[in-house]
Formats: sequence, C-alpha cells, structure tokens
Amino acid sequence: MSSSALSLRPVTLRLPRGSGSLRAQIETALAAEGQPLRWAITAVEPAADPEAASGGALLTIEAVVLA
Amino acid sequence: MTASRPLPTLLVIPTGIGCELGGYAGDALPVARLLAAASGCLITHPNVMNGAALYWSDSRIHYVEGSALDRFAAGALALQPVRRQRVGLLLDAGIEEELRWRHLQVAEGCRASLGLEIGPVVTTDAPLEVSLRQGASGASWGQLGRPDALLRAGRQLQAAGATAIAVVARFPEDPGSEALVAYRQGSGVDALAGAEAVISHLLSRELGIPCAHAPALSPLPLDPDLDPRAAGEELGYTFLACVLVGLSRAPDLVPVAAAGADLLQIGDVGAVVAPAGALGGAAVLACAERGIPVIAVHNPCVLAVSAEALGLEVLTAGSYVAAAGLVVALREGISPASLERPLPRLG
Repeated sequence: MSSSALSLRPVTLRLPRGSGSLRAQIETALAAEGQPLRWAITAVEPAADPEAASGGALLTIEAVVLA
Repeated sequence: MTASRPLPTLLVIPTGIGCELGGYAGDALPVARLLAAASGCLITHPNVMNGAALYWSDSRIHYVEGSALDRFAAGALALQPVRRQRVGLLLDAGIEEELRWRHLQVAEGCRASLGLEIGPVVTTDAPLEVSLRQGASGASWGQLGRPDALLRAGRQLQAAGATAIAVVARFPEDPGSEALVAYRQGSGVDALAGAEAVISHLLSRELGIPCAHAPALSPLPLDPDLDPRAAGEELGYTFLACVLVGLSRAPDLVPVAAAGADLLQIGDVGAVVAPAGALGGAAVLACAERGIPVIAVHNPCVLAVSAEALGLEVLTAGSYVAAAGLVVALREGISPASLERPLPRLG
C-alpha cells in the first residue's frame, strides 16, 4: 500500500447477523469502509424473533480502518 | 506437568477493555506461565506479556502481535520459532530529548545485560501524532495522525536489516485525568492500549515482521494507592524493556503458502482461551469456526459479548486455574464432559 495518502479512521457498524461465518460477514461489511486494521464485536442485541434461523441478533462492531 | 506432547494453545486477553485480569501492566503474565506449563506451547500477544519494566521469557511461549495472531488464527500465517531476532528501534520524532535518551539507554541496557541484538535506531521524519479515543462500549481505541511517517521509518529499519521492530511513540498525557486515576487504582480501562494496538497492527500488517509498541510518557507522581496490577509501569522511565525482550525471540511470520509442514499453523492448535465476555474478536471467532475448543474464562471486562450472545459452543471456566485444568484434560485426551457432574446418560 502506498503510504503517502494513508489515513486511519474509526468506524462503528451496526450489523444484523446473517447465517454463515460471522467473521466473514463482519469483514465484508468493514471492507466497504476501508481496510480493517482492528475490529471487535463490542455489543450484541438479541434478535426480535429468537426463532429466526440465522439468529437475527444486531451486532455492534467497533473498528479502525485504513482509508 | 504432563507426559503428552504439547497442545498448542492460544491465549487471548484483548487490550483496552478493562479485563479484571490482564487489563493492566502485564498482569496476565502469571496466567501465560500457567497455561504454557499446562499446554507445553502457548501462543499469545504483547498485551498479555508486557509488564513495562517486568517481563518473563519462556521458550514455550510464542509472542505474536495481535493482528498477526488474527492472521495466524485465520490460517493466513504460520509461525517459525527463531533463536533470536534483530530488533530495530523506531522512535517517534515527537519524543522530547530527555525521554528519547531514557529509551536509548533501556535499549543499551538490554544489549549489555540481556545479550539482545538491537538496532539500528530510526527516528520518524515527522511526529506520529497519537491521539486517544474511547468507543461507545467503553473500550479504548486510538488514532495516529501520521501513519505514513510510521511506515516510512519501519521500511527503513527493515531495509537496514531489522527482523523485528520495537516502536516507541509519544503518547498524550493528562496525569490528573479521571481515567488515569481509575486505572492506577485498579478500576478502569487502559486508555493507551487501543492506540498502541493500532500502531503495532499497522506496522506488522504492512511489513510482515514481528512488531510491538511501548508508549513514551513522563514519569507519574507517586501514588501510595497504586493497584499492584498497575505497578509494573511505575518502576522506571520507560515501558520498553518488556517489548525488546518479547520481540527478541518472537517467531517469524511466514505466509502459509510459503510455509513448510514443520512450522506452527492454526491446524496444530488444540484450544483457545479468552475472557467469557470478549469472544467477539477475529482470532476467537476464527478458531470457533474451525471447531477448535474455546475455553471461556470468567474475567469481567467492559464488554458482554458472551458465547450465549454469539451462539458459540464453549467450555466454561470460572478462573484461569480451571482453564489450565481444561487445557491439561484436552492435552491428555480426557473428555471435559467426563469431569462434570451430573454426567448425562447417552440414551
């Protein structure tokens, strides 16, 4: 990566949990903001419908991305 | 402790989330030593091992920077143990002259008294402009105004032969701040930790070599109420010694595509140990997705991202002593369920 125009940016995402790999969902969502440097799920709100197959929980992700 | 072959185990205690154990100045080091003995091979990160002026070296413990640990867990990197690294020292141009001398003398002391290979020393061409930030969750994050200057200096060190890099950046300070007072008295989040992680993650990711960070700060006035867990940071003028020792034998980071079968890879890992409320990080999720047993340990922090909230199956441990017992059980091939009562019938 060229370092000349590099900047770091804090990002907070709210992401409904889908089915499949949780990590892949998060990394895909963060990629729209920049190159994820550091991230973590920092909160999980339970699903409105606990019977939903994918879980349906709402995740909060805090991150720093390279933009 | 056990005659069985080692069970490579990951120990993750995320930085900057106020973990009761591991949220201070290397106060998870006893846990790392315990789990290294239980597993015979422990892979962990600087937040666990760095106690400022205090450190511990153990050939069973692999010191791997956090973003490299994430890539190891994701199956992108393998670890190659080495006899020694040549640790380049990267100093922020924002460090005042006296503080700069203090850091150089720590490096000299580690050369003379510990036999480490350190150098060269490079100063960034502009101050790094570190700033601190806290997320809505209460976790500490941070910013770097001049990532370009950091990377230029890192590349210069690598080109000059450094095989690992210790970074010292000038951090903003406010000795009277409520956050610092709380941290020193054992009840707060380490406000510096998030920015430290960002610095080492950026450098390690871009250069592909072991990196770790120590903040440059002026010494604090004496606090008789200092919590023992924060005491490691008040023994000297710098936090650098532990970083130099950790990096001096940190494993090389080898892309899996170029790795031989003899290197340590995620497929060799038999357990991951993490705080029960902080299971939402990249390394733990990657391990869980691979079916590696996750040992969730009671270790209160500002997060509540539990196995239940994420729908993960885990082994629970009320303490790190119990977690060590589970690691021994896994290493010996004993089913953890057989150690619990009641034992449900199969039918």
